[in-house]
Amino acid sequence: MLRLILKRLGLMIVMLLGLAVITFTIANVAPGDPARLAAGPDASQEMVEQVRAERGFDKPVPVRFFIYLGQLARGDLGTSVYTGREVARDISQFLPATLELVLFSITIAVVFGIPLGVLAAVWQNKAGDHGIRLLAVSGAALPMFWLGLMLQWYLALELDLFPLGGRLGVFDDVPPKITGMITVDALLDGDPATAFTALWHMVLPALALSLPALAAIIRVNRAEMLEVLGRDYVTNARAQGIGPFRIIAAYALKNAILPTLAMIGLRFGWMLGGTVLVEGVFDFPGVGLYAAKAAVSSDFEPIMAVTLILGAAFMVTNLLIDLAYALLDPRVRNQI
Amino acid sequence: MKLRMLTSALALAATLVSPLQAAEKRDGEFWMVIGGRQAVSHIDPGQSYDYSIRMMTQALYDGLVKYTGNPPEVEPWLATDWTTSEDGLTWTFNLAENATFHNGDPVTAEAVVYSYQRVLEMNEGVAWMLSEILKPENIKATGEHTVEFTLDRPYAPFLSFLPWWFIVNPAQVEANVVDGDFGKAWLAENDAGSGPYELERFDQGTAYWLRRDADYWKGFPYEAEDMGGIIYRLIQESSSQRAALMSGEADLVTDLTPEEFEVVGARPDIEVSSTPALTTFGLKMNTQGEYTGDINLRKAVAHAFDYETFVQVYNGNAKLQTSPFADAIRGKVEIDMPRQDLTKAKEFLAKSQWPEGGITLEYVYVQGLEQQRQMGLSLLNSLKELNIELEMVPLTWPNMVARASSVEESPDLLAIFATPVSTDPDAVAIQYHPSSHGKYYGSHFVDDPELAAMIEEARAISEWEQRAPLYEQIQQRIADIQPEIFGMLRQRQFAYRTYVKGYVDSPIRMTAEVDLYPLYIEP
Repeated sequence: MLRLILKRLGLMIVMLLGLAVITFTIANVAPGDPARLAAGPDASQEMVEQVRAERGFDKPVPVRFFIYLGQLARGDLGTSVYTGREVARDISQFLPATLELVLFSITIAVVFGIPLGVLAAVWQNKAGDHGIRLLAVSGAALPMFWLGLMLQWYLALELDLFPLGGRLGVFDDVPPKITGMITVDALLDGDPATAFTALWHMVLPALALSLPALAAIIRVNRAEMLEVLGRDYVTNARAQGIGPFRIIAAYALKNAILPTLAMIGLRFGWMLGGTVLVEGVFDFPGVGLYAAKAAVSSDFEPIMAVTLILGAAFMVTNLLIDLAYALLDPRVRNQI
Repeated sequence: MKLRMLTSALALAATLVSPLQAAEKRDGEFWMVIGGRQAVSHIDPGQSYDYSIRMMTQALYDGLVKYTGNPPEVEPWLATDWTTSEDGLTWTFNLAENATFHNGDPVTAEAVVYSYQRVLEMNEGVAWMLSEILKPENIKATGEHTVEFTLDRPYAPFLSFLPWWFIVNPAQVEANVVDGDFGKAWLAENDAGSGPYELERFDQGTAYWLRRDADYWKGFPYEAEDMGGIIYRLIQESSSQRAALMSGEADLVTDLTPEEFEVVGARPDIEVSSTPALTTFGLKMNTQGEYTGDINLRKAVAHAFDYETFVQVYNGNAKLQTSPFADAIRGKVEIDMPRQDLTKAKEFLAKSQWPEGGITLEYVYVQGLEQQRQMGLSLLNSLKELNIELEMVPLTWPNMVARASSVEESPDLLAIFATPVSTDPDAVAIQYHPSSHGKYYGSHFVDDPELAAMIEEARAISEWEQRAPLYEQIQQRIADIQPEIFGMLRQRQFAYRTYVKGYVDSPIRMTAEVDLYPLYIEP
């Protein structure tokens, strides 16, 4: 097991290096002049050249890449050309918000997705199954940002049930920063009301973000459950008079859950990327919104930093899923 | 029954957690929420700026003078009065003696000298406005409240740039200089100003809180003592801005699309302001390009363009340019500008190097800006009459700026909104001078020695009576060489709740910039 972890961590470093090469190359062959951007639209040519020299944009691309790698090794993610702020500082501010949103979204997807997948399998080809499958198809087909706008329009504006956006109301006090996740920090601070308010602000973006994952979990879980429910040992269990609930919970779901678990892991990574679309609609100040703003400004150091961090998060999630697989399935464990 | 209970529970929960209506008081004071789409990357008046930065720095800092009203006038602010020497080189300003910074320090002539020298030495932000005519060592305090600027050469637009130069407290800045950075890192998120507002909170990417300085040395133009402050809150989608305004989560929003502006304008609880801007919108043609280098081709394209469609794209909230200068620019005169006339267009085309057409022009515009796309489609349609194709290329703003920076890369047509930073005619005329080559608004790379000489002569004359006739000639000359399809002046449009009072528009401000000083809430 330890060998697997070390091997995978080594592979992750190689993959992250590859990701850094790709993003850096794209950033540096893309059109746009970061020095002119930093100097401002009215800047004289002399001011532009001054910025170019100060920020090292006058050096050859390979030299800049090695300087960048050196920076990364020291934990320095660079400085935003547009804002002049350290990217690491921005990320430490915005990443907890995104993680909080994604964790809440994945919780919604799992809490609703697994039971609905089970019910769809149990009710195969009945009205309930059709209804759940329709939800799954819709979830896969509807664009997240469109769904977000619709939720905002109907549930926030028309029914006034939820706030339009943000992490808290504009006049709410932000709890002292511990993890950066407001719900967690507020609870640690002994302020459940603020935690609830933050959670309430996350409902609509989390719904928009979770629907594709919910759909995927339903589909995979339904298919797996159908397969398991058709197996001999389930038939045997039924013949022994074991009740349907126990058959599903103790026999079928336990065996059907592994592929669903893998799906959840994959979706966690995709959701991190999906925040680029959803955070913009709900003005949720996370790394997705940060990266989107950086992209339209051709501000590459933040984009590269976000790409590397999301890439690393994706890889770590996959590793954790594989480890969970190994823990739950002796056959997988024996292969390691 | 269960559904009803759930709905009731949700509604109850919503009332518990829904944000306060912005017009309600917080600790006995009104806080106005302004919904804007652009983050405030810093609040240092010495670093690079955009509309949101300028809106904040104007609230936190004072300049020697300030633009107010419509038409915009330069009004005394920290400076109570000023004189100019006969030769136009020496400008002397007397300062208000009661002005104080937020920490109580007096605003002195030394502070003015320090602030101007800091920007010129950093050579960032607004430095470009004066760096060619003013050396740091030529700014001197000649008394505790008197400051003297000696220019390298006479420069008539000098005063018109000063509203954008703000005075910082040297004691606070110097105490926070790190490694000779001019205090940039500290000033990015802290204020050292004397303006009507103080910085209360700077939540990057979320909201920026300005507390009203009730003891502001200049006072306020209203009596509402319960005005607590202003929160500039980021609302990045135009549709979300509209929703926030309608639900009361925002009290004023800055840049709605024309369609959304129409929707909110129909509501009784929302007021709208639509006033002519100083911003011009034109399609700049590369006068040194392969095709558009031919003046007859440029004139053909300008006469083929459908100007009426141009205005309709903005639901009528725009007017056609009647000069290369916007209406609020000093010395603007009416010029006979091209309007759609296909017969004339064909005549000009016949005189060009491509009498039969058969060429393709490139039209570059800002990706995602629907209005600019529609204008491109209209042009595409018109040019078919001349057997000219139009390739429409959407680009992000930074990429457009990059394309405009070299004559080889500058496209045949570039859709550009240009807002001059002053009402002095030089601020517009300079776009057609070689010194603007490489800047986005100089993407036509005009190189006309006769025009350049007139621009240089006019900016060096102190007396307006002598300058004015030159600017008439300059406007005519610019129109004659047709470096762009002179488009329109789009209205500046803002929407706010009816309890927002004191809103005053001024065309000198950037597209979504608001003067926060006179605003207050009165339910």
